[in-house]
Amino acid sequence: MRPDLRSDQSTCRRLRCLNQNQSKPSFIEKHLLKLRLAGVAVILFLGMAAAAQTISIQFEGGAFKVAGWRAPAAAPAQGWSSVFVVYAGAGDVPALLGSYAVEGGVLVFHPSYPIAPGVRYRAVFHLPGGGAPLEKTFDGPHRDTIPLARVEHVYPSTDVLPSNQLRLYIYFSAPMSRGEAAQHIHMLDENGKDLQGTHGVFLPGEELWDPNFQRLTMTFDPGRIKRGLTSNETIGPPIAEGKRYTLVIDRQWPDARGVPMVEGFRKVFRGGPALRTPPDPGQWRITAPQAGTSGALLVDFPTPMNYPLLQRMLQVSGGSGAVAGTVAVALHETEWRFTPRQPWKAGDYQLVVDTAIEDLAGNHVGQPFDVDVFAKVTEHITTKTVSLPFTIR
Amino acid sequence: MPRLKLVSMTVALCLGVAAAITVTAARKPASPLAELPSGKVQLQSAGPLAFGPDGILFVGDSVGGAIVAIDTQDHTSASAKPVNVQGVDEKIAALVGVTPDQIVINDVKVNPISKNVYLSASRGRGPDAMPLIVRVDASGKITPLPLDNARHQSISLVDAPDSNPTARQNPRMQTITGMNYVDGNVIVAGLSNEEWASALRSIPYPFKEASQGATLQIWHSSHGRFETAAPVRTFVPYTISGQQYILAAYTCTPLVKIPVSDLKPGAKVKGVEIADLGMGNQPLDMVPYKKDGHDYILIANSSFGVLKLKADNLASYPAIDSPTITNVAGVPFDTLSDIKDVRMLAQFDDSNALIVTGKPGAGPAYAPGPPVGPINLQTIALP
Repeated sequence: MRPDLRSDQSTCRRLRCLNQNQSKPSFIEKHLLKLRLAGVAVILFLGMAAAAQTISIQFEGGAFKVAGWRAPAAAPAQGWSSVFVVYAGAGDVPALLGSYAVEGGVLVFHPSYPIAPGVRYRAVFHLPGGGAPLEKTFDGPHRDTIPLARVEHVYPSTDVLPSNQLRLYIYFSAPMSRGEAAQHIHMLDENGKDLQGTHGVFLPGEELWDPNFQRLTMTFDPGRIKRGLTSNETIGPPIAEGKRYTLVIDRQWPDARGVPMVEGFRKVFRGGPALRTPPDPGQWRITAPQAGTSGALLVDFPTPMNYPLLQRMLQVSGGSGAVAGTVAVALHETEWRFTPRQPWKAGDYQLVVDTAIEDLAGNHVGQPFDVDVFAKVTEHITTKTVSLPFTIR
Repeated sequence: MPRLKLVSMTVALCLGVAAAITVTAARKPASPLAELPSGKVQLQSAGPLAFGPDGILFVGDSVGGAIVAIDTQDHTSASAKPVNVQGVDEKIAALVGVTPDQIVINDVKVNPISKNVYLSASRGRGPDAMPLIVRVDASGKITPLPLDNARHQSISLVDAPDSNPTARQNPRMQTITGMNYVDGNVIVAGLSNEEWASALRSIPYPFKEASQGATLQIWHSSHGRFETAAPVRTFVPYTISGQQYILAAYTCTPLVKIPVSDLKPGAKVKGVEIADLGMGNQPLDMVPYKKDGHDYILIANSSFGVLKLKADNLASYPAIDSPTITNVAGVPFDTLSDIKDVRMLAQFDDSNALIVTGKPGAGPAYAPGPPVGPINLQTIALP
C-alpha cells in the first residue's frame, strides 16, 4: 500500500535565476553579442543544466528522495546521514531508522518501518558546500475512522455464574489494541456501582490475548476466590451468590487501528452457588449416533464447562486412531457436539478426555481449583487423560 | 515505617503453586558464543529479557512461543555511569516512525558487562505490532539491536495442541511473564490464556532440541488449608546461606523461595512462602542487593509502590502457613514513598538500580494499565 503522504506548502527553492539588463548594441556589437550569447548559452546549458534545476525532497514508493541533485556514487566521509536525514518526531529525537541508496543518481532514503498514520515526517537535505538546509515535511496517511469492531461473544454464555467463576473469554469481531482492558472493562453491581474499585474484580497484570488479538482472557482475582485467604475473607469473592451484576465493555475501546468499537457491550448475570466439585467424566452423558450417518456425537455435562478448553481437550478415538471431525459447543457450554468428517462406522470408540479440562471455576478432572488439605495433593489423578467408551451401532 | 512482624500462623498463599516444571540437569557451557549460528532473528514479539553469560540476551517471544538467545556483541566491560533518558518512549517512537502512544515498553535489563541498557518493546498495539529491542548507552543514545544477521539460537515453548486447528492461528498462547538465567539454565514463568495451571520451565542453555526432560510439580510446603495451581508473576535468582534459590512472586503477592537444587526431573519440589505483600497488588520486578553488610530486595509493585524487603537471615524465617486477616506478613519491609510511578525495575550495578517510570494509566488503582507517557529511564542509588 502506498501511503497517502500530504506535503505542506512547498519549501523547494530555485537555486539560481537569470536577470540581465541590456542596452541597444551596434552591428558589430550585435554579432559579437550573438557570439557571446551563443557561448554563454552553451556554457549555461552545459554548466547549469543540473544547478538550474529545482532540488526538491519527494516521497515516492515508500521512500524519501532528493530530486534534482545528482548524488555521487559514494557516500561522504560522514555518511549519507550528514547530507540527508529524516525525522519522525519533534524535539531532541533520534533520526528515523532506514537505509540509503543512490538509485539512478538520486539519493534515496528507505525507512526501516512502514510509514504510519498520525506521524509528521521532516526530511532535511544539507546542500553540499553549505547554505541553508532544504526541508520538507510530510504527514503520514489518514487514520481509518470507520468503526468495525464489536464484542461478538462472552463466555461463559450462561447468565448464572458461580461465585467462584475463574475466567471470562471476550471475543471481538476485529483485532483490538492491547493495554486498554483495565480502563474499558467494568463490572457493575445491582445499583450500577462500578466494582472495579480499589480491590478490583479482575486479576491485574498482563492482558492475555490470542495471537490475533480477537480473544481476551480475563481472570477474576483468584485471591478473592480461594477460600481462607485474606482477600476472600475480608472482601469476599468477586461474585456473590444471589446478587445481580452487569459486565460492561466500553465502546471507546480502540481496535488495532485505534478506532473505537461500533458499540459497547453489556451482559447481565446473577451470582450462583460456588462450584467445588471437580468435573467427573463418569457423570457425562454420551449419545451416540447411528452407524452410516454423519450425525453428531453428543456429550452432555451436568454443569457448564470452559469454552476454549472444550475445543481441544476432548477427542474421539476409534479402532484406527483419532477420528477426524468438527467440534461445536451448545446449550451454554453444557453440550459438546462432534461431527465426523466421514460417516460413522459401527464399532467401539472412546471419548478421550484431557484431565486438565476445566469447568467454569477452574476445577479440573480429579482436582478442585482450591485443594482442601495439602496431604491430599498426592492423591490427585496423575494421568493426563481418561477415556469413556461408547459404541456406534 | 511499617515494619511488619513475622506472624507464625499468618497468610495462606494467595496462590499456591502446582507449577509444572521441565528440567534437566544444569550445566555450564564452556563457550556459549561458539554455539550460536548467525542469521536473521525471527522474533514475533519481544517480551521479558534476561542476560546470560558473555553478553547473551535472552528474549521471551510470547507470540512466537519461543525463547531466543542473541549475541549482543556487547562484550566490552565498562564502568557504570548514570543513565537518565526522559521521554524514552518518544525517542523510540521517532526512531521507528510512529506516534509515542504506539510504543509499548515490555521489559528492561542491563548488560552486566557493558552497563548498557536494553529495552524490549512493541511498535504498535495490535496483532501486527513489530518487536523491537533497543540499546541505550550511558550518553542516552538509542540504537536498535541488529537482528538481520545476528548470532542467535532459539527454542520453542509450544507444547500444546491447537485449540482450533482450522483457525488461522492457534488461539492458545503462553504469555511469558518472567525469565532469568540461573546456573546454566533459563528459567521461564508463563501464563496461559486458556487453562489455569501454570508452566514454569527450566531450559538448559545452550539450547538443545531434546531439552524438555521430565515433568515435575512444585508445591509449597506451607500453604494453609487450600491450595491452587498458580502462575509465577516475577522471580529472581537468590543465594541464601550459600544455596541457590529462586524467589518467586505470585500474582497476588506471596513471595516464595524455591531451592534450585531441587529442580530435578521427577522430583516433588517444596517452596516456602516467606512474605505476603498484601492484597489488591501485583509485584512487577525484584532486585536483590547488599548494602552496609545487610541483604535487601527491592520490589516494584502495581499498587504498593516500591518496597525494600529486609532479607537478612531469610533462611531463618518460618513459613507462612495459614490464613490471617492482616494485610501483609512475613519478612519485614519498608515502603519507599519517595520513589514514585515505577513501572519496571532492573539491576544496574552493585550500588544502583534502573527504573522505568511513567504516570499511571486510566484504569483502576490496582490495575492502572500501561503508563501514560512520557516514560523515563533513569538510574537511582539502591536505598
